[in-house]
Amino acid sequence: MTTLLKETLKHSSIYLPTPARITAVKDLTALEKLFTIELPSGFSLNHRPGQFVQISVLGVGEAPISISSSPSRSNGSFEVCVRRVGSVTNAMHALKPGAMLGLRGPFGRGFPVERFRGKDILFVPGGLGLAPLRSLINEVLDERGKYGRVIILYGTRTPADILFRDEIAQWQQRTDIEFHMTVDRPDESWTGNVGVITTLFPKIQIHPRNMVAVVVGPPVMYRFVLMELLGKGIAEGNIWFSFERHMKCGVGKCGHCQMHHIYTCQDGPSFSYAEIKHLEEAL
Amino acid sequence: MSAKPKVAFFEFTSCEGCQLTVVDSLQDHPELLDAVEIVQFREAISEKGEDYAIAFIEGSCSRPSDEPKLQAIRQQAAIVVALGACAHLGGINAIRNRMPLQEVREYVYGDRAEWFETYEPRPIKDVIKVDAVIPGCPIDRREFIKAVTHLLQGRMPFIPDQPLCMECKLKENICVYTRGKVCLGPITLAGCDAICPTYGDGCEGCRGLIANPNIEAMRQVMHEHGLTDEAIDAKLSMFLTNQIMALEEAG
Amino acid sequence: MSFKIMPKAALPDWVTWLKNRYRVVGPTARQGQYVFAEIASPDELVLDYPTSVLPPKKYLLPQRETLFTFDAQSMQMKANIEWEPTVILGVHTCDMHAIRLLDKVHATGYTDQHYQAHRQHTTLVSIECLSPCMEHSFCKSMGTLTVPEDYDLHLTDLGDSYGVDVGSEKGEALLQGFTAIWDPTSEDYQRINKVMAEKWPRFSYRLNFDVTELPDLLALSNNSSLWNELGDICLGCGQCTKVCPTCYCFDVRDEVDLSLTKGERTRTWDSCQIDRFATVAGGHNFRSTRALRNRHRFMRKGKYHLEAYGLIGCVGCGRCAAACLVHITPVDTFNELYRRHKKGELLEEAKQA
Ligand SMILES: Cc1cc2nc3c(=O)[nH]c(=O)nc-3n(C[C@H](O)[C@H](O)[C@H](O)COP(=O)(O)OP(=O)(O)OC[C@H]3O[C@@H](n4cnc5c(N)ncnc54)[C@H](O)[C@@H]3O)c2cc1C
Ligand code: SF4
Ligand code: SF4
Ligand code: SF4
Ligand code: SF4
Ligand code: SF4
Ligand code: FES
Repeated sequence: MTTLLKETLKHSSIYLPTPARITAVKDLTALEKLFTIELPSGFSLNHRPGQFVQISVLGVGEAPISISSSPSRSNGSFEVCVRRVGSVTNAMHALKPGAMLGLRGPFGRGFPVERFRGKDILFVPGGLGLAPLRSLINEVLDERGKYGRVIILYGTRTPADILFRDEIAQWQQRTDIEFHMTVDRPDESWTGNVGVITTLFPKIQIHPRNMVAVVVGPPVMYRFVLMELLGKGIAEGNIWFSFERHMKCGVGKCGHCQMHHIYTCQDGPSFSYAEIKHLEEAL
Repeated sequence: MSAKPKVAFFEFTSCEGCQLTVVDSLQDHPELLDAVEIVQFREAISEKGEDYAIAFIEGSCSRPSDEPKLQAIRQQAAIVVALGACAHLGGINAIRNRMPLQEVREYVYGDRAEWFETYEPRPIKDVIKVDAVIPGCPIDRREFIKAVTHLLQGRMPFIPDQPLCMECKLKENICVYTRGKVCLGPITLAGCDAICPTYGDGCEGCRGLIANPNIEAMRQVMHEHGLTDEAIDAKLSMFLTNQIMALEEAG
Repeated sequence: MSFKIMPKAALPDWVTWLKNRYRVVGPTARQGQYVFAEIASPDELVLDYPTSVLPPKKYLLPQRETLFTFDAQSMQMKANIEWEPTVILGVHTCDMHAIRLLDKVHATGYTDQHYQAHRQHTTLVSIECLSPCMEHSFCKSMGTLTVPEDYDLHLTDLGDSYGVDVGSEKGEALLQGFTAIWDPTSEDYQRINKVMAEKWPRFSYRLNFDVTELPDLLALSNNSSLWNELGDICLGCGQCTKVCPTCYCFDVRDEVDLSLTKGERTRTWDSCQIDRFATVAGGHNFRSTRALRNRHRFMRKGKYHLEAYGLIGCVGCGRCAAACLVHITPVDTFNELYRRHKKGELLEEAKQA
């Protein structure tokens, strides 16, 4: 089967998208929707968790969006979770099932999943960070036996911002997942934890030697979570992030995503702390 | 096809130059009239209370009695667009804002000053919520068409958020500073295709300031190029009085 | 490959002869400065120009370029790969080094077919600089005062003739059938040796240290207070990056006509000196101050490119210095860092951070 990227490369221009159809749209919150996008027949996405696609609404523009479904669940179609923040994302939110998008990618190198095998995995998604991390979480859950403990610490600003409620309900049910959630600002109905994401750490036991931590969230979150993880003794090479940067091309040309000599769109967006700790601009 | 979106134009304190530009662009792009229905033109306010998809407002708010009119437009319009420098910045009218109001009135109206109700001209965003701005004195006709296109697409008009020098250099203009003139290009928003430097004149800043402009450095550059402090003040107050006063206030 | 002599008197004929086969562009005068433009008639060409406002890179990476056209309704898209057989006359050696870097950038990882198409159909006729083009240039310090091997033809002004080095078959093709050239005599060889020997002393080393030390110097400079000092005076106007032969960042935008379906996606030169260049959704700006943006530019020029592409990102052309209204220059910046380094200030500041 041809991968989408191969198709993109075959085009006469690396900037030319491949048309694809939206088959389902689901409201997750007031700001975020989940889109199911069907690949043209005969194509597979063949992505790694952590990779992203460049999604075009022709006439409005293009935006980098993480793939939210896991590889094993992305046959023929895949999912993205999109927050409405500007022109492209607003235009996407106006689209109904049946509408067409343009796709390029998948780009970036994603997380080195095979290196996580046999280890305990601590997922720390903050806010919209759950969208990209969900791809990796489900990949791990699909092959649950290959990993040690699975711990998920999820934080959002308010209860209204919680994504993927159905899936979270399932994770909470499972005995082979340790799941904890917190909100910064509760509403009247909220009975759960309150506080920033780092307040969840005392709830879990960490055996640092065999643990990989994967952290995805807004830029402000990273430093605090990092301190926590380093403090627990997790190795620098086992702490993984996904970086958001302004991206225009996805292919290492436009310069927007540059962080020192590194193009985040090519060498990232996932990096281990060991890889980027000496880079002044990274965190 | 569904009914065409209704578009209205309103005029406050201005020279009508921007509306003339609109008329010009209609001549270049008659297809615009296929896309929208223009329901109001050159009238300050509708009595009928129609609803508009887009209200373009030209001119600054320069007297208290303008305010209820602006509020009425805001209520009737889904999207309000400030059209041109007067509506965007207070316009040339705002030059006088650094002088005490009473002096201005006496200067302009002599001993009849008390008969006229005016106050500091202000951008309409100081009075009502403005969704988008088409800057310039006058507006750029290509940009106007583009902005309408964007609004019809359901997105906000894209106005470049870069300094004019960027556009000027893309055209490979010879910088007017090397030709003995001064130019506000480094602190002014691009989008006019650097029209003034292209014709050999310095930019006067009619499109307003970029985000986080370095005013001090700009003054220094003009100083180095022979302008006195008064001349620099004059340069910076042609269009930018209100914006610079706001920056000064913010510290 | 080979070496020929072309009398200057034959230049107009050669240009006219080339014009029948190619689009011919070269330096022309504009309001006291020089710009690369299409040569309509040979007398417009000024081969002994000092420097150009924009570098010739604009023929490989145009200021604005349509990437593809589309119909949003039918989802038809058509790539816009444009090229025209072009000869660029009079490319200075610094700009040749810059093109070498651009070649590398656009072929690393994914190939940019738009750049590639322009590049493959462009023939580069470079010319030796015999004296400094302006006060701001520092090519000798950057090692760009000799032509890199990528030239097709390379000219050297020998007074009443040009020495013509043929560097490639593409270059050879520009001479094929043009008869007013001849093989050099021993006298011509003597002349070229003399011209080359006399040229070097006219240029001075303007960096106070060897360029090979620059990346390490910059590595120590992350926390230097110099960046804040530059940030205080910088206008953030972006001119320095517009005129730079090694800058290649771009922005991408869609425009449609009033039918709202037919349109094109274009890219336009962008600049890392602009406020929102690194701002992401949510408003976080990864280089939020002019100080950080200046640091990024100089790091890119003196360090990052070397790490990413193996070539240094500044070719010493001096254009950015000439364009900058507040006199921020690479030479002064690098020398000042070096001075502070010698006084131990950089290490001190790094320790404090
Ligand atoms: C690797 C990566 C993965 C991402 N994954 C997701 C995801 O799964 N879901 C999601 O909702 N969002 C995701 N984003 C963010 C998303 O790309 C931006 O929200 C989107 O580009 C904004 O485009 P817009 O046209 O809607 O907004 P605009 O109208 O262009 O601008 C709104 C704001 O977004 C910033 N912005 C514009 N373009 C970009 C860009 N290309 N990259 C980053 N910021 C930009 C602007 O500076 C501005 O502050 C991801 C970003 C990256 C870099
Ligand atoms: S003429 Fe004005 S806009 Fe153009 S480069 Fe010079 S200062 Fe900038
Ligand atoms: S160059 Fe300056 S003054 Fe002239 S139209 Fe443009 S923004 Fe206005
Ligand atoms: S040209 Fe000078 S003032 Fe303008 S952005 Fe560059 S360094 Fe700053
Ligand atoms: S940084 Fe300045 S001197 Fe160096 S190549 Fe660019 S424009 Fe030339
Ligand atoms: S910088 Fe040096 S190589 Fe470049 S044009 Fe000037 S003199 Fe020639
Ligand atoms: S997104 Fe363009 S270089 Fe990374």
